[in-house]
Amino acid sequence: MSVRRERAERLADEELMPLIGAKDPEAFAVFYDRHDGAAYSLAYGIVGERAAAEDVIQEAFISIWRSGARFDRTRGSVRSWMLSIVRNRAIDLLRSKAGKAPKLTFDDDAILEQRPSEELTEEEAMRRETANEVRGALGELPGEQSKVIELAYFGGFSQSEISRMLDVPLGTVKGRMRLGLEKIRGELAEGLA
Amino acid sequence: MSGNECERWNGDVAAYLLGALEPEEAVEFERHAEDCERCRSEIRWLTAAVEILPEAVERQEPPPWLRRRLLAEVGADARAAGTATESDERGALHRAGRRLAGLRGWRRLGWLSAVLLLLVVAIGSYGIGTGGGGGGSTATFISGHSPGVSAEVVREGDAGEIHLAAVASLPPDRVLEAWVRRDGEVEPVKALFVPDGEGNATTTLGDMHGVDLVMVTTEPVGGSQSPTSEPIAEVPVS
Repeated sequence: MSVRRERAERLADEELMPLIGAKDPEAFAVFYDRHDGAAYSLAYGIVGERAAAEDVIQEAFISIWRSGARFDRTRGSVRSWMLSIVRNRAIDLLRSKAGKAPKLTFDDDAILEQRPSEELTEEEAMRRETANEVRGALGELPGEQSKVIELAYFGGFSQSEISRMLDVPLGTVKGRMRLGLEKIRGELAEGLA
Repeated sequence: MSGNECERWNGDVAAYLLGALEPEEAVEFERHAEDCERCRSEIRWLTAAVEILPEAVERQEPPPWLRRRLLAEVGADARAAGTATESDERGALHRAGRRLAGLRGWRRLGWLSAVLLLLVVAIGSYGIGTGGGGGGSTATFISGHSPGVSAEVVREGDAGEIHLAAVASLPPDRVLEAWVRRDGEVEPVKALFVPDGEGNATTTLGDMHGVDLVMVTTEPVGGSQSPTSEPIAEVPVS
């Protein structure tokens, strides 16, 4: 491993971004290696096809490479920013193939557990634990609440579209979204307590 | 900020965070939230719930070639910007090489007979190159302005890779791009790559079903929709 790579690996994401903005390929490689799994999983979860998910990842990471300097640390973590870029790209792709429904399930841990546990870093292990908690929280939501959240976040549908799709009043959709997010937030707060 | 206006918008905080407002509604909501502490507070509280949603999807691993493709494009960009060092490129490609070496070892054990080592056909003003010729060995391609380039296509089922050796260094504004010919039509395989410091270059070729020819050209950084230069290598496959 090169010295520069070792140095880059010791940096937090927020510290990598200025280097990526300055077109440092080692910093970009470290950033990609940290987040490729989450990014690809999200893209695949939204578009439901490997080839399409690969296109999304290619476009999203090249966009980050070319616009890394535009990351605004006052608006959240780098990981959230990166995942929002992936989500937007994936939703754009879905919309370009109009009518495609999201393929998503929250209850299958088989793929998550494929890698032996000794290969997991502490950070990744924590993320997986969080993922389990989120899946648990989503699983405990009433179906109508998790449905509107899935359709909005992973399907890219507006609340008006969801209202029409589910044939329920717009106000009901708003209420379900809010209640669902409140419950997830509550679970997170309990988990941190 | 009137209470009625806040009541109107406060019900949209969740939809805003989930990306479920229409674009013009989102702009209006943001304008409102700039002056509304109650809505900003709600946004801060619920943002954590939305940010955690991507972590809930089933875990999938991206294919390794996606990393190679990205790093090749990034390396080409960096070279064009003058920020990549030779060690950057060597490091990135050396890692790819190590993975390939491992793959090759496995292949020798399992399916060596399926490996195609095909003759590289010369194109260019100086005609056919010299080299191994038949017997499945790798041949050498000679072009008018470059030293000999050797190439091999490794095919595994409907997937493939092309390995080039002795590729001359490229100008900063050029990259290698791979193409396949299928049913008489030449298609890009979205594979942009650059040679390492030792002149080796490798990329994946994606779906090889129906492909009878693999080509590599030099193209502007970012790639082209169709070849804009004479191939530096052509490998017929069957």
